[in-house]
Parts: sequence; structure tokens; C-alpha cells
Amino acid sequence: MTDTVKKMDTKTTTKKAISKVPEVLLKKRKLYADLKAKRLRAQVQATKNKKYKRLVIFKRAEQYVSEYRKKERDLIRLKRSAKVRNNYHVEAEPSLAFVIRIRGIRGVHPRVKQVLRLFRLRQINNGIFVKLNKATVQMLRIAEPYIAWGYPNLKSIRELIYKRGFGKANKQRMPLSDNSVIEKALGKYNIICMEDLVHELFTVGENFKKASNFLWPFKLNNPKGGWRKKANHFADGGDFGNREQYINQLLRKMV
Amino acid sequence: MAASRPLVSVYNEKGQSTGNSVVLPAVFRAPIRTDIVNFVHDQMRRNKRQARAVSDKAGEQTSAESWGTGRAVARIPRVRGGGTHRSGQGAFGNMCRGGRMYAPLKVWRKWHRKINLKQRRYALVSAIAASGVPSLVLAKGHSIETVPEIPLVLSDKIQDLKKTKEAVGVLRKIGAWSDILKVYASKHTRAGKGKMRNRRTVMKRGPVIIYDKDNGVKKAFRNIPGVSLLSVERLNLLRLAPGGHVGRFVIWTESAFKKLDALYGTWSKKSQLKVDFNLPQPIMTNSDLGRLLKAFEIQSVLRAPIKRQARRKVKKNPLKNISLMSRLNPYAAVQKRRTLLQQLKGRRTGTTAESKIAARKERTHASLKTKRLSGVNLVKKTKKQQIGATTTTTTTATKTTVSTKSS
Repeated sequence: MTDTVKKMDTKTTTKKAISKVPEVLLKKRKLYADLKAKRLRAQVQATKNKKYKRLVIFKRAEQYVSEYRKKERDLIRLKRSAKVRNNYHVEAEPSLAFVIRIRGIRGVHPRVKQVLRLFRLRQINNGIFVKLNKATVQMLRIAEPYIAWGYPNLKSIRELIYKRGFGKANKQRMPLSDNSVIEKALGKYNIICMEDLVHELFTVGENFKKASNFLWPFKLNNPKGGWRKKANHFADGGDFGNREQYINQLLRKMV
Repeated sequence: MAASRPLVSVYNEKGQSTGNSVVLPAVFRAPIRTDIVNFVHDQMRRNKRQARAVSDKAGEQTSAESWGTGRAVARIPRVRGGGTHRSGQGAFGNMCRGGRMYAPLKVWRKWHRKINLKQRRYALVSAIAASGVPSLVLAKGHSIETVPEIPLVLSDKIQDLKKTKEAVGVLRKIGAWSDILKVYASKHTRAGKGKMRNRRTVMKRGPVIIYDKDNGVKKAFRNIPGVSLLSVERLNLLRLAPGGHVGRFVIWTESAFKKLDALYGTWSKKSQLKVDFNLPQPIMTNSDLGRLLKAFEIQSVLRAPIKRQARRKVKKNPLKNISLMSRLNPYAAVQKRRTLLQQLKGRRTGTTAESKIAARKERTHASLKTKRLSGVNLVKKTKKQQIGATTTTTTTATKTTVSTKSS
């Protein structure tokens, strides 16, 4: 059971005396040296990776800027060219909505409660991105008096994500203060930075669900300047329901 | 049990080492379970108690009766009759003056305790083992700095001593006298009522002499303050671990020391003098914590120590904090720079009111132009201006475009 103490040969004829070091200490030193070497190698690799990633992110961001502009101009061009020929260009129905919960917790109908829970809108002034399809539109209709929603533009999305963006990391609400948070969660869907995330949401991409689910529900402020009338539909001079592009104005006041 | 059992030298009454040595009995390598010692000591201490109680009759020797309600007095029984202070006073209750106490003490209280034989023996074995550890003996408070060896074994000549003077001489020669001096110095009056109950002085405990055969040892040593005498065959935990704490200074005689193996056994051999007893097994075979912690087998499996905890950082707004923004989006710096350049050049960047008006003008101009030329967008704009235009179109979309969808 007892470890033997390794003794160096002191009976040599050399002039220098070799120190006696216990075996345990030697093993520990070797282990630590190995770990250190591994750590340094990992560090070097990490810095290389970081540099490369930054380049990739830069290129992507640049590409997205031109992509967004192209999209914008395309739409305008199509409309104009149609108008010239006395024709109509019907643009595609929007596929992205931003939904904000307007009303509080108390006295909610169970059906509405369930829908809001499914949308992860468990708190007043919580907001999420929703992909619009037949199913979700019908859900929004059920929860209509409790939500204000509309079609966010790029600026709204960017403001939301940069200023109020928190991600779900290890079941915790982590601030998006570094791209590594995003990369860890969504790296396998090729979303590695803030701009990638914005792009995925704005152009409702393949992995929209993953991206939107990664984002913790946005906790927004009450709108600066106030509501009109939460009890009415937006069309009746109130606030709830679909307000299409006017959601952006509201978001400027709430983010 | 790979515990080493070294040789212990025997000392004569002059304090010099005789040639003899005895192998350390296995008892001294038994596990030292202070918790068991404490428990058993606590139980054993109750066994010398004498019953005490309050008289059955105390407080009951009245014929008091309650006056009942309606007399503006409390309803406790009151002493009958008159002509004395005592009449009408409360009686019987524990709250009353001169009444019986609450739960009068009875002699049939359980004064003594039964202790399991195995536990008793375990405790004793632990106490003996602890007496062989110098640090524990020192921790107990004994003055053993001048003692030649722990465990201290003296030759059997000690057993034949008759005079206390000789006994004192022996203690001096073997360096145990300082412990006795400590005892002398510690003599003081007891605190409490014991003073008036024939237990006036208290003092420390000194060494305990453990002998095999009493040829006068007892009488020689018994008058020396602090010294206890014990026969090896009848060891007493109350003497070996006074106060429930292990590590009393023990002076063995050679034959007593030799008898320990027969009394308590070694792990490989059962005890010969006690029925069906062997030393208790320790839970850890190697309890050298220092060694274990440094052992390679353990060190190699440990994770790295967490020297720096990751703490919560305040979230900063990248839209205001430039360094954070560039960390998140390296292209943002480029965009910002371009905007600034455009502003400096006086070109429209789409962010000021003037530029918005100008952008609108250009749009109408452009639409007029496209009416003449078939559908080709000939408007030349710089990159930044276009970006500016896009941002303006979206924000002022409320005014110009027709809402195509109704809610």
C-alpha cells in the first residue's frame, strides 16, 4: 500500500549531488506539463479559429447588406414595372411576424392562455418572432385581444436582437454579448453570429424555428408615449391585433 | 492490516533503557473511534450514580380543598381552617408556595445504563490505541516532553515497590514528574455546591499506571496526586479516557504490556482471555490522508481546480457601445465609416430630414423617368444612397404605399 520513494543514485562519482525527488511529485509534474502543453496548443488553435471566423462573419455581413438591398430594390422594381404596364404586382404575403403580448396574466380564457403559452408569451410586453402560416395565423386569431402583432422590418429586428437579445444557453437566459453564445447553440445550422441570426429571422430561412426558439422571449418596455387603447383592436383606434407595418413604429417606442 | 508494529523498549526504574524490547501489541493499531469512546464513557459514567428523589409526602401533607367558583379567588385548593397565616393559602399545586413540585422525583428513575459488550470493548481498545499516540496524549494536556518513549513501558520491578518515596523517585527518573507537578498546580476549589458535599477540591488527572500483578504498586503510587492505578485485566474506560476524551498518559509494566496481545488479540489471532473477541476492523485500510491526496491514482482523475469563477457581466447595448458592436459584427465598423464619409461629403445618407425629402424627390423623379422609358430603372445611385433610400422608404411607407392587407 505504501508508495516507495524513488531515490536517485547518489553513489555516482560525479561532483554534483542529484536531488532525491519523490515519484509522486515527478508524476504530478509530468501531468501538469502535459496539460499545459495541451492548453497552449488549444490556445493557439483557438486564436487561429477566431481570426478565421471573424473573416467569415465579415464576409457574410457584407453579403447580407447587398442581399437586403437587392430584395428591397427588386420589390420596388417589380411594382414600378407593373405600374408602367398598367398591371399590378401583388407582393408575397409576409411570412414573418413579431408578436407582443399586451395584456397581463389575470382572467385569461384557457384557450387563449394555451395559445399564449405555446407562443412563449407568458408575461406582459413579451415579444417573439413567429413564422406566418395557416396554423400560426389561426392561433394569432384566437389570442387576438391579448396581442399586438405585425410585420417587422430589418431595423426592428436588428434593434431587438442587438439591444434586447438574450439566448437560451443551458436552459439559462444568456445575453448575446458575444457571438460564441450564438455559435454554441446554432453553429450546426450555420448561424454563427448576430448578423446570421438577423438574416435567418428576416428571410424566414430553413432554420427559422431553431433560431427563433434559441432567442429568449424579448422583454420589452412599455411604449414611450403610451398605448392608444389596449381594449380595442388597432383598426378601431386601439392596440390589439394585427397592425401590419405599424408594428415597427410601436417597436421603436418599446425596444 | 499492514500496520507496522515496531519494538518498544522497556525502561528500568532509573529511567534507563534495559536491553529488552517488546513488540507493540496490535491494540495500539486499532481504529481510534472517539465517538464511540465518548458515547460509552457517557453511559458508563452514569453507573456510579446514587438514587435521589424528593419525599413522596412533600407538599401533600395538607387537607386543602378548592373553594370553587364565586368567591373571587383562583380555584386552586386552599388550606382549611383558620387562625394562622397558612389558612386559605394555596396548596398542592406545583405553582403554590409549599406545594408539591411538578413531577416529584422518584427513585425508580433509570440511573444506570447497559452498554453493549462489543461497544464497551471497542471503546476501551480505542482508548488504549490513543494512549500510544504522543500527539493525542499531548493534546489531552499531559506533560510528556521529558518521557523517553510513548508507549512508556517500565520493567516489572515497579510492581514490587512498597514506598511512595520510591514511587516518586521512579516517576522523576522517567521524566513523568512534570505531569504530576501539573496536577499539583491544578488543585483548586470546586465550583458549585459540590464544595459543601465533600467534594471540595478538584485537580487534573496525571498518569495511569497499568500493572499485571500488584505486589505493592497500588499502595506505593496511590497517594501521589493525579496517579491512577489499573490492573491490565480490569481496564477501566473511565480511567483511560477521563472526561470522554482519549489520550491519557499511560505507564505500562512489562508484563502488563505483554499481556495485551493475549487480552485483545491481534487481527490474525483472536483474544485468548476474552471470549470471542478480536480487534475491530478499521473502515479504511490506508487512512494516511496526506498520502492519499497526493497519490497519483487520485490526482490523475481529478478535474482542474476552478481558480476563476465566471461571474455575471452587465449586458451593454451594442447599438451604443462601439467596441461591443465591432466585436459582434466586424462589418458594422465599415458601415459606420461609410456613413460618416457620406455625411462629410455632403451626400445623402438617408438619416437626416433633408436627405429624406431629397430621397422622396428623387423617387418621384425616378418614377417619372421610368414612365418614359419602359420599365428600366436608370436612376444611378451610390451604394450608400441606395441604402439610405431603402431605409427612408420603409419608414415613410405609411404615407405613400397602399396597404394591401387588411387585418
